[in-house]
Amino acid sequence: MTQQTLARPAAASEPPTDPGHRRRRHRYGERPGLAYLFLSPWIAGALVLTIGPMLASLYLSFTDYDLFTSPQWVGLANYRRLFDDDPRFLTSVGVTLRYVLISTPLKLIAALGVAILLNRVTRGSAFYRSAFYAPSLLGASAAIAIVWRLIFDNQGIVDKGLSAVGIHTGGWVASPRYALLVIVALAVWQFGAPMVIFLAGLKQIPQELYDASAVDGASPWRTFRSVTLPMLSPVVFFNLVLEMIHAFQSFTGAFVVSGGRGGPSDTTLFYTLYLYDNAFSNFRMGYASAMAWVLLLVIAVVTAALFGTSRRWVYYAGEDAR
Amino acid sequence: MRLRKHPYRVPRVLAVTVIGALLAAGCGGGGDGEDGRVTIRFDYWGSTERAQATNDAIALFEQANPAITVESSFSDFGGYFQKLATQIAGGSAPDVLQMDYSYVREYGDRGVLAQLDSGEAQVQTSGLSRQLLTGGSVGDKLFAIPIAQNTQMFSYDAAQWKQAGATTPADTWTWDDLRAAAQAVTDGTGAKVHGLNDFGGVLDWFEVWLRQQGKQLYTEDGRLGYTAADVTAWWQMSDSWRRTGAVTPAETTTKIDGTQENDPVAQKLSSATFGYDSGFTPKLWEQYGRELTAASFPTGTGKRGQYAKPAMMLSVAQRSQHKQAAAKLVDFLIHDTGAGTALGMSRGLPADEQVRKLVGATLQGPPQAAYEYEQKVIAGLDAAPPPPPKGAGEAKVAFQRVYDDVIFERATIEASAAKFISEAERAIAS
Repeated sequence: MTQQTLARPAAASEPPTDPGHRRRRHRYGERPGLAYLFLSPWIAGALVLTIGPMLASLYLSFTDYDLFTSPQWVGLANYRRLFDDDPRFLTSVGVTLRYVLISTPLKLIAALGVAILLNRVTRGSAFYRSAFYAPSLLGASAAIAIVWRLIFDNQGIVDKGLSAVGIHTGGWVASPRYALLVIVALAVWQFGAPMVIFLAGLKQIPQELYDASAVDGASPWRTFRSVTLPMLSPVVFFNLVLEMIHAFQSFTGAFVVSGGRGGPSDTTLFYTLYLYDNAFSNFRMGYASAMAWVLLLVIAVVTAALFGTSRRWVYYAGEDAR
Repeated sequence: MRLRKHPYRVPRVLAVTVIGALLAAGCGGGGDGEDGRVTIRFDYWGSTERAQATNDAIALFEQANPAITVESSFSDFGGYFQKLATQIAGGSAPDVLQMDYSYVREYGDRGVLAQLDSGEAQVQTSGLSRQLLTGGSVGDKLFAIPIAQNTQMFSYDAAQWKQAGATTPADTWTWDDLRAAAQAVTDGTGAKVHGLNDFGGVLDWFEVWLRQQGKQLYTEDGRLGYTAADVTAWWQMSDSWRRTGAVTPAETTTKIDGTQENDPVAQKLSSATFGYDSGFTPKLWEQYGRELTAASFPTGTGKRGQYAKPAMMLSVAQRSQHKQAAAKLVDFLIHDTGAGTALGMSRGLPADEQVRKLVGATLQGPPQAAYEYEQKVIAGLDAAPPPPPKGAGEAKVAFQRVYDDVIFERATIEASAAKFISEAERAIAS
């Protein structure tokens, strides 16, 4: 046994006759059949459920398609109409941007804050971790969005609580001023996923950096800014990109809380909600496809921009410091 | 020990085959048994109460036609039409489907519905009035047959009105009478309960008001039968009622979506509403915790403006594999007296004359009130206008949405009316 184990590295680095690069290819690259066999469920899924529909929708975005009769080629008319002749489209863009800009930072701050606290908990940390993570598992479901709607509705818990201290809002769900905030709150409450990732990142920060800063007499805030944050910046970056993309695509909360209408007064008309409305209520599948591709491009551009800024503030350990 | 060269080598062909098989598995379809039995699907919108009645009627149908099995499912109105569109596009439309007046043209014009007055899916239409059938016809083709009719109705909590000292509706009452009564209820309850649901955002009630002035919602050639000035006048009326509290405030109004659970009357926030008489479902008194009384719409011109509306219609999908069986079910649900008794008033007043008489004699509770109301007003009802143009459903939704701007005071009434007109024109033009 022992001998065999010991023998293995020797065997691996064995024949000098075998050039190194060929060997690597041999080991990892020359069994494509097997690889594809194991990958096949995923490949089938990707082709049928992702790539195929995407290409179809790209084609449909250049057509007038009402779901029932065959698509008519209209060139760029759908895209032109989006920007020239559809005030609700611009409304939906405004609502979505506001949502992304408010909910993403709040969610990340909440996630990081709780992660830092949990990082110090020594007893029962598994319990707290699960407890804080649970909303992320539940939160994407329609059921929770319905509960959320009831909580913030007229005569809901929040309304009754506020009324008890003399603030009458008549429910937030039906108020053009607060309706979007209800959906933001629902998103922020689901900070579990980024929190777990932050927590993993925090555990990676070498203790000696903290020891050193303690020796230097750094305040907790100073330690956070000069040690925790820079060391954690790759994780912050990762979470930022992911959560931003999620926020752009957010649908369920808005759909359920507003009863599918984006109301009141279009103040929760998310981009995806308007897209869905066009596609499935108003029989404008071609137009909706154009919207989907515009969204994809916008997300790609914003993500690329974030990557562009990352060089300035994301620090990877092992890189030369500045 | 050295590994053999390619211990687990799998031929590329095999990998490709597996992928292909997985792809193909996703595209397979089912079929029917070969013993002459067929299964047809029937989808409709409605409440659980309606579903129970419908299941009873379907059971009778299956007894009478042992070779046909009916699978049915139901959902709420909005979800139903969203699902239907996707199903039809995906080639999995139900064989028999419940059709709404405002969508007949949308679907009929696009060749999705089978013709019911000739061909494989022919259904006999004796016992149905001509006026009702026009509601299901596009051009000279019949695409949907009304199973029930309903009409616009005003309903109010008579006990609460009397207690508040409000004058209850008479046959010739006016919009001013209504306003005074609603205001009295609001004042009498210290604005805990408002006299009336804000009606300004509902296109259907606007339509009645328009018809009272000799106008119509859509012209014969499918264009808007009114202008921004009409919308402005209508909204000025409802807006001034809202400002004095006669109708519900904005936060309450914005949640009205046609379902019973979101009806301010059910939540005891309001004391009266416009609606359809088919809304008087058997358990309504228990669900609302109060009894309501039916009355016709107020008017100011001597014209009532209400019409016999083909409330729910049945259609057969053009791509159905079993058109004959589907037509049989449609025929049975509409004409069979047993089915009629099982369905009762669950879809409104039965369209078939014979069934209507039979059902009328057995009713009690809210459906009886609706039946009596309908019998009282039926002589004065107009014929249903032809089905509205494509996009009418979208215009209806836009009407309520733009009205939100008015009640939340985010835009002037004139600007909102102009905005709505441009949206409605866009909706029905495309």
